[in-house]
Amino acid sequence: MYIDQNRQEIQFKIVYYGPGLGGKTTNLEYIHANIDPSIRGELVSLKTKDERTLYFDFMQLELGQIKNKKPRFHLYTIPGQLHYSFSRKIILRGTDAVVFVADSQPLRMDDNLDTLLDLEQKLIDQGASLDSFPWVMQYNKRDLANSMSIDEMQSKLNFLNVPYHQAIATKGNGVFETLKTAIQLVIEKM
Amino acid sequence: METNHKEAFNNRIVFSEKTYQNIISILTELRTRLNAKITIFADMNGYPIGYDETVPAIDITSLTALAAGTFSATSEMAKMVQEQDKFRFIYLEGKENNIYMCNVSKDYLIIVLFDKSVAMGMVRILTHNTVEKLSKILDELSMENQQASKYIDIEFKSMLNKELDKFFGID
Repeated sequence: MYIDQNRQEIQFKIVYYGPGLGGKTTNLEYIHANIDPSIRGELVSLKTKDERTLYFDFMQLELGQIKNKKPRFHLYTIPGQLHYSFSRKIILRGTDAVVFVADSQPLRMDDNLDTLLDLEQKLIDQGASLDSFPWVMQYNKRDLANSMSIDEMQSKLNFLNVPYHQAIATKGNGVFETLKTAIQLVIEKM
Repeated sequence: METNHKEAFNNRIVFSEKTYQNIISILTELRTRLNAKITIFADMNGYPIGYDETVPAIDITSLTALAAGTFSATSEMAKMVQEQDKFRFIYLEGKENNIYMCNVSKDYLIIVLFDKSVAMGMVRILTHNTVEKLSKILDELSMENQQASKYIDIEFKSMLNKELDKFFGID
C-alpha cells in the first residue's frame, strides 16, 4: 500500500494467483471489458507467442473520491506455469491481497494445490503467511460438465476457510464479486 | 535479503506533502536540465510516487509497473552471476527515445525518458546527482507505519462498498 498525502491517493495492490490456464487473465480481461472505461486504465499484458502470460498482466482501477480520498487498485496476474517462479516472487512483493483462481476440473486439482503451496512458501519467504494474509478463493470454470463439487474443492483447498466465490470468468459470473471481496479484506485489515 | 522483503510487505508507506513536494522539485529540476520527456520516482513494488512530464499521453502507472518488474528481474540476474550488489542502472536505447532507470537505495528507482539528442553521459551524471538528493530525503524519512489507519475509517469503508457495488454492478 502506498499513501500520497499530497494527492490524497491510497494505492492498493491485488494479485491474481493460481495455476496456469486457470482463468486469472480472463478475470482481468472481463473486468477491463465490462467496467466503466473512465475508472480503469489500459490492460497491459506481457504474453508469450502462444498467448500465455509471460510476466504479468496489469490494470489500474480508480474509483473517484471517497471522503476526499482517491483509492486506486493495481491489479496484477502472475504467470501460472511453475517455471516462472521467480516472476511470481517479484510480482507478489508489496501485495495487499491475493485472489487465488482455482481450476474446477478434477485433473487440475494437483496443480491447484501445488500452486497454493507455492503461494504459501513465497508469502513465508516475504514474512507473511496464508494464515494471516488477506486472500479470497475463486473456484473458476464452474460451467464445465466435469467440474468438481464445491464441497470437495473446499475440503481440499480451502483448509483455512477464507471467503470463496464460484465463477465462470469467461462469462463474468463471480468476477466482480471476487474482486469486491478482496478489496473488502484489504480494507478490513487496516 | 529476507529482511528487505519483510519490510516491503509490512510497511505502510506514507509520504508527507512536504516530502512529496521536495521529490517533485528534484524530478522537475532533472527533467528540465536534461530536457527529458518524463522523470519518475517510484518504489520497487511498482507504485509511481511522483513524476514530472511533458508528454501527458503516456500511462505513467503502467510504465512504472513494467519498470519495477524489469528492475527486479535484473536484480535476480545479478545474483545468478554472483554480482554482490544489484545492477545499478538499466539503459534502453530506441530509435527516437531512450529510457534510463536507476535504483535509489534498495527499495526505489528513478526512470528517465529522453530523446536521442541528449548525451548519455549527461543523463548518467545528472541522474546520479538526483539519486543522491533522493537518497538523502529517504534517509531522513521515517516510515509512518501506523498512519494508514487514520485514512480509512468506518464511514470510508461504507462509502467504498457503495462505490464498488455501483461500478461493479452488484446488487
